[in-house]
Amino acid sequence: MYRMHHTLTLAMVLLLAAPAMAQSPCTDYHKFNCQRSGDKRFSINGQSKSAAIQVGNETELNIIIYRAQDYRISVCADARILGEEIAIRLIEKVREPRDVEETVVTREPVLDAQGVPTGETREVRTRQKQRIFEEVEKVLWDNTAHEMAQEVEFSCTATKRIAIQLIASGATDAKPRRSTKEFDIGCTGILVEHMPTPGLGFKK
Amino acid sequence: MRTRSVITIPLTALLLAACGGDGDAAQEAVPGLVIGGDDASASGTSLYQMPTPNELFSLVRDMAGEGHRRMLNPAANADRYVSRRARAVNFGIYSTDLVYASYFKLNVEVARYYLTTKKLAESLGIANAFTDADFIRLESNLTRGDSLEVISNQAYMRAYERLQDEDMGAVLAMVLAGGWVESMHLVIRQIEAFGSNESLMARVAEQKVTLEHLLFMMAPHLDDREVAALHAELGAIQAIYDGIGEVRSAPQGPSASGRMVLGEDVRLDLSTEQYQELVRAVDTMRGEMTRPEGGDNA
Repeated sequence: MYRMHHTLTLAMVLLLAAPAMAQSPCTDYHKFNCQRSGDKRFSINGQSKSAAIQVGNETELNIIIYRAQDYRISVCADARILGEEIAIRLIEKVREPRDVEETVVTREPVLDAQGVPTGETREVRTRQKQRIFEEVEKVLWDNTAHEMAQEVEFSCTATKRIAIQLIASGATDAKPRRSTKEFDIGCTGILVEHMPTPGLGFKK
Repeated sequence: MRTRSVITIPLTALLLAACGGDGDAAQEAVPGLVIGGDDASASGTSLYQMPTPNELFSLVRDMAGEGHRRMLNPAANADRYVSRRARAVNFGIYSTDLVYASYFKLNVEVARYYLTTKKLAESLGIANAFTDADFIRLESNLTRGDSLEVISNQAYMRAYERLQDEDMGAVLAMVLAGGWVESMHLVIRQIEAFGSNESLMARVAEQKVTLEHLLFMMAPHLDDREVAALHAELGAIQAIYDGIGEVRSAPQGPSASGRMVLGEDVRLDLSTEQYQELVRAVDTMRGEMTRPEGGDNA
């Protein structure tokens, strides 16, 4: 009886763990599937990341890029599920100040002619300026304007917060008949490479 | 509403896979999707990655002279960090010190801080990020600075990934907070030791951007009281940064490498007073973070 119970429990654990095991290969997807730059001066940046993404669902990876560095960002994905080409957009996230004016309502004591409080209060409305900060997104590059390129190289002249936004349209060829959600979730890797911006020409 | 999470996507995917459901929609490709368009899912996922300390140190190394071991948090304090917050924050501090020591070729300190960081990693449950095999590699490469950089950086990355994989978001947030403060402390002390330097000052000003990024990363864990407290303290430093003037301009021609320049040039006008205010705020926060606690962690 104990053995049967034990076997059943084990079977249930394996059954529940199966989808988890199926997802685990995504962890290092970029390390094994994204092609490195042919330029050996590029080294892999620690902000590279892999994740499971769903067809039609926008996913973004937020990273920091430093001034005086050149970067190469490439995206690789499981084409059987997510399609041959992923839409990619690089956006800068900026925290911009904005001055707003708001009405502040307070109550203050009413004074008589001699300046003595009468015991009554009155409502006073004042306008106060306040500085708030808003998150603004600026599109820096969009691969739909670059023949759906799956990689981009650029120089960075100012340290920035950027997001690499991805969306997959899905594979267009025939798919298995099985009707389960798992067939629109696939692995994607974002490989970030960097090097100090090299100068052109002869050095003295 | 975009959800912010470093670790939730595998879980979401796992749940979707486990739950199954109507797959008809999944059977059809979704042609011509536009990022940010109406056809994209409203509930996108945001993942955050923080740059490793070596990126900053590699940028400042050439302009900052030699490294100074007196700037590091004394390794002997490691046994006296008992609470979860102190262990996590000082793990971030010591691992940043380790990377600094390897970048500035403080070879004896590299070995010392590797062991110190390993000790705190054990107490946080991520011991296997720092292996004995790596320590042997490290010892045999003590005269080869480049190898030390690689080994210490690999250990840092493994710890970082381990914290992400193990769903330890709150601890990771505290580790990164400690690492950010220590990076600032080390660059500021380099400026003091090396003399005022415009390029180094500019790097301090640019840390405004990494701080913003860090605060976003911490935001999903604000229900943790210790993370919330650190977030508030870092918020006070952000308020100083918010006072810095920022001038944006279109890039002047292609970059020196011939590659396209991404986005605008940004100049941050950090005044001497604002710099001093930043120094005081960072010193106060680091002093509080590194203060040994009563007990013994050994």
